[in-house]
Amino acid sequence: MKILVAVKRVVDYNVKVRCKTDGSDVDVANVKMSMNPFDEIAVEEAVRLKEAGKASEIVVASLGVKQCEETLRTALAMGADRAIHVETDTELQPLAVAKLLKALADKEQPQLVILGKQAIDDDANQTGQMLAALMNAPQGTFASKVELAGDKVNVTREIDGGLETVSLSLPAIVTTDLRLNEPRYVKLPNIMAAKKKPLDKTTPAELGVDAAPRLKTLKVAEPPVRKAGIKVASVAELVAKLKNEAKVI
Amino acid sequence: MSILVIAEHDNGSLKAATLNTVTAAQKIGGDIHVLVAGHNAAAAAQAAAQIAGVAKVLLADATHLGHQLAENVTPVVVELARGYSHVLAPATTHGKNLLPRVAALLDVAQISDVIAVESADTFVRPIYAGNVIATVQSSDAIKLMTVRTTAFDAAATGGSAAVENISAGSDAGKSSFVSQELTKSSRPELGAAKIIVSGGRALASSEQFHSVLEPLADKLGAAIGASRAAVDAGYAPNDYQVGQTGKIVAPQLYLAVGISGAIQHLAGMKDSKVIVAINKDEEAPIFQVADYGLVADLFTAVPELIAELNK
Amino acid sequence: MSYRAPVTDIRFVLNELAGLNEVGALPGYEDVNPELADAILEEAAKLAENVIAPLNKVGDQHGNKLSDGIVTTAPGFKSAYQQFSENGWVSLRTPTEFGGQGMPALIAMATEEMWCAANVAFSLCPLLTLGAFEALEHHASDELKATYLPKMASGEWTGTMNLTEPQAGSDLAQVRAKAVPVGDGTYKISGQKIFITWGEHDMVENIVHLVLARLPDAPAGVKGISLFVVPKYLVNADGSLGERNDVSCVSLEHKLGIHASPTCVMSYGDKGGAIGYLVGEAHRGLGYMFTMMNQARLGVGIEGMAIAERAYQQAVAYAKDRVQSRELGSDNPAPAAIIKHADIRRMLMTMKSQIEAQRALTYYAGAALDRAARHPDAAEKQKWQAVVNFLIPIVKGWNTEQVNEITSLGVQIHGGMGFIEETGAAQHLRDARITAIYEGTTGIQAMDLVGRKTASEQGRTARALLAEVEAVAAQLKTQGLAEIGDALDAALVHARASTDFVVGQFEAQPKAVAAGSVPFLKLMGIVLGGWQLGRAALVAKQKLADGDADSAFLEAKLITARFFAAHLLPQVSGLSAAILHGADTVLALPEEAF
Repeated sequence: MKILVAVKRVVDYNVKVRCKTDGSDVDVANVKMSMNPFDEIAVEEAVRLKEAGKASEIVVASLGVKQCEETLRTALAMGADRAIHVETDTELQPLAVAKLLKALADKEQPQLVILGKQAIDDDANQTGQMLAALMNAPQGTFASKVELAGDKVNVTREIDGGLETVSLSLPAIVTTDLRLNEPRYVKLPNIMAAKKKPLDKTTPAELGVDAAPRLKTLKVAEPPVRKAGIKVASVAELVAKLKNEAKVI
Repeated sequence: MSILVIAEHDNGSLKAATLNTVTAAQKIGGDIHVLVAGHNAAAAAQAAAQIAGVAKVLLADATHLGHQLAENVTPVVVELARGYSHVLAPATTHGKNLLPRVAALLDVAQISDVIAVESADTFVRPIYAGNVIATVQSSDAIKLMTVRTTAFDAAATGGSAAVENISAGSDAGKSSFVSQELTKSSRPELGAAKIIVSGGRALASSEQFHSVLEPLADKLGAAIGASRAAVDAGYAPNDYQVGQTGKIVAPQLYLAVGISGAIQHLAGMKDSKVIVAINKDEEAPIFQVADYGLVADLFTAVPELIAELNK
Repeated sequence: MSYRAPVTDIRFVLNELAGLNEVGALPGYEDVNPELADAILEEAAKLAENVIAPLNKVGDQHGNKLSDGIVTTAPGFKSAYQQFSENGWVSLRTPTEFGGQGMPALIAMATEEMWCAANVAFSLCPLLTLGAFEALEHHASDELKATYLPKMASGEWTGTMNLTEPQAGSDLAQVRAKAVPVGDGTYKISGQKIFITWGEHDMVENIVHLVLARLPDAPAGVKGISLFVVPKYLVNADGSLGERNDVSCVSLEHKLGIHASPTCVMSYGDKGGAIGYLVGEAHRGLGYMFTMMNQARLGVGIEGMAIAERAYQQAVAYAKDRVQSRELGSDNPAPAAIIKHADIRRMLMTMKSQIEAQRALTYYAGAALDRAARHPDAAEKQKWQAVVNFLIPIVKGWNTEQVNEITSLGVQIHGGMGFIEETGAAQHLRDARITAIYEGTTGIQAMDLVGRKTASEQGRTARALLAEVEAVAAQLKTQGLAEIGDALDAALVHARASTDFVVGQFEAQPKAVAAGSVPFLKLMGIVLGGWQLGRAALVAKQKLADGDADSAFLEAKLITARFFAAHLLPQVSGLSAAILHGADTVLALPEEAF
């Protein structure tokens, strides 16, 4: 069984981003970039399925600027078998990403596509669902458990209020939630080995996909800062304040 | 303009998130229709009909919609959507699961987590875990968006819209419901609670998490939340998690007990009306956002608080 | 306090100052390039930041427990070490034939900086293993190599160095441990060894001790010491572990710092003699030890620089966070973050500029080590070996002397909170203290520098390096960076005078030269550190002119170099005065008067 995993290169989760002074966009020049943490979980899940003998090949794809190659190398070092880089400098929005991944899926014919539930930059949480729609395949979003069972996959999803398990026919799309697994630290020999694994290049034009953005960002701003309030000296004072001043109890 | 709002419901009842979403729709302006897709969902549809400002409720009722699987609900929404200028769903796990799938089939973008409506085509949404607020404009013919419920007040009730049955389509045959494991609680849901009592790693064990916080939550009629640290340590179940990667909440009162206030936690609760922090570390970042801070050991302060409330 | 590996700065030093591309051009390093280095740095940073650094404080507070000869490490250490070794980090620079990755010292060094900064006590375990590995790799029989090296490279077994005895510290000629031939090619080892780092612990199944001991027929002094392998568990012919050897940890030292690293008193032969295997030839053990000395001393130099970096990061975070007193000259009457205060800035810049100078000089020495080992051209090889030899005592001595000052500034910036252990600033100060002592005290490094490394080669390498400093100074002046160039020129005058004094007087009045040897070492550290920052400034200036996007980082390089030129380089004249004219007062006071 072949698994396709999509990984995005994003601003590292430790970096506190700032807006450009003209408010046109977020300033991401020279900040540390890393693989989207949810995508790391996606790669890890695929590798675990392969290690368990349930998958035969893991193809990892990333879409965007040249440096996405580094992100792909990381995924290869984690255990993916080969990589595809769809190179473009165009801003890619979820619908375009889904269309590009659909084009890759048409070629690769994976039985399972695993993606992070959202990227920590645009926080859209859309790509997996859109890809599932375009592939006319079922979707197991926000997965906290993935179990292959014959020609189906059982996905336990984190939903409001608890967990829901659904059974999906293959091919299926899974998007990962935080607690699906804990991604491994890469083994040093695998970093070297990753350099020798195949990394193919293509472009949106070659895939016949119009990747132009549909949404226009008019401006970005930092949210107003909430100011610190006061320290109270005792529980009694706290209760008095909540009753008389804030009037919330 | 006419707007379709996808109802959040469990067949038997309508979830409060629907009310917030209707308010967002009202900000855009136009006829508002609510879609209830489910099975034996007449009660939910009736509830939707009572929301003030709703012109019509559309009920798609069939067995295969019972668990509202995205694969089965999507064709119903796609079919309807072409007749609307906007389609809105609450930014709940259900709305987030469904709406992008609809958008892709309509070949339009979807806008996630809208927190403000600027105009019929311009919306405000947080990115980078709420550290940046973006204003985006859509040029698509139909605008699809999920709405962050905490950013909009609940719509009033008292309306009396007609309920119209519509075609429910057929089972896509790609997916099936297996089981559901809802956290049982007599307390209000985190997303809808007016008061939330939230605990952090300082509770130090699952037993203490429950034995210390539950009496306080019961006293206040509050929902219980947790920091990621407390969830990761196994003190509280996953769906208690408040934060960037958990639930985003904005209750009237948020009581943070033994939570240091990691940025990603703050991202999930900083829109609460009043924040109270109880922490023994006076340097804890939570105090920077708290309206009222009490530097104290939670194990003595919380029982004292309950006693004080009982007075 | 968390640690963030300074990957951007390390990358800059590797690529722009130390010559990673040149190292990649050496035979056998064809796969080495900036992209590979980046991938390694990123992964090492993750492990250092998320797994090893969080154990630093736990280890300090918990230490190790000895009971019935078993040493239990602090909570979390065993699993962190397993992750570290399973992920292949022990063998980054060991040769591929024994299962290593065969990476150059330059890249290995960048990862070692991260381990040391994250948790220096932890880092000592793999460091010692590597030391023992190299001794065996260079001098042991093929049979011993086959038995021990793959397991040590994989990290499944760790290694130790057993040199010191109560009466034999810096002076190893006084080693008394005994080795008696059994007749079957093995030896019975007996005696007590002290200060054995990671001599006993619970993180792995076997520990490979390298032990210096005397054979019965050994001549007295340094020429009568042999080197033996003594495993904790004997190894069967099939590679499985056999009987427990007659070696045990009888005591753990209570130390000022590096609490998580068990410093053991090891007893050999309590039950008749531990079985040992001779490494190489008899009576040549001390010489074998010295072949690893450069690497080991460079390693301790890295420790000094790395702990300084950790202390600096903590101080910066506190200075930005702590609000006290209004800012001088500001209209705002409210108290300001202390980073706005001039003296806090001075301290932070003193820390930062020295750390960056040390990182550049240390990595330069690392690249020189690789070039000396692999350069295809014999003359180049020899030249780089001389550079290595000259730089080692400076990197070791200067980095570790300064880390004491730098971590002390780190405490100072914290004010009263710095003196409180809970804050964590004090741990760095305590952990750093040993680095100027072990692997040869600063005094020993300084004597090595003035004697073998300077006087006995007529100052050839010293003068060659100073000529390079002069060339950089000249370039700085043509590039609009005259304040740095001028400061380097001024320092060069003193450095040359001091070098002349050392070369000229070492034979005639060795004690006078020795009296100024540590000042000479520091002087060289400052001048050569200033040279590296001058080079960094030239690169930064060029990149800024080319429109490189990371202007904030490059501007910081220029400012840091200017600070060093204004605050550190002028110290050279004072040091030079002490070297040239200060010996007499060092030695004048009669011993009875002390």
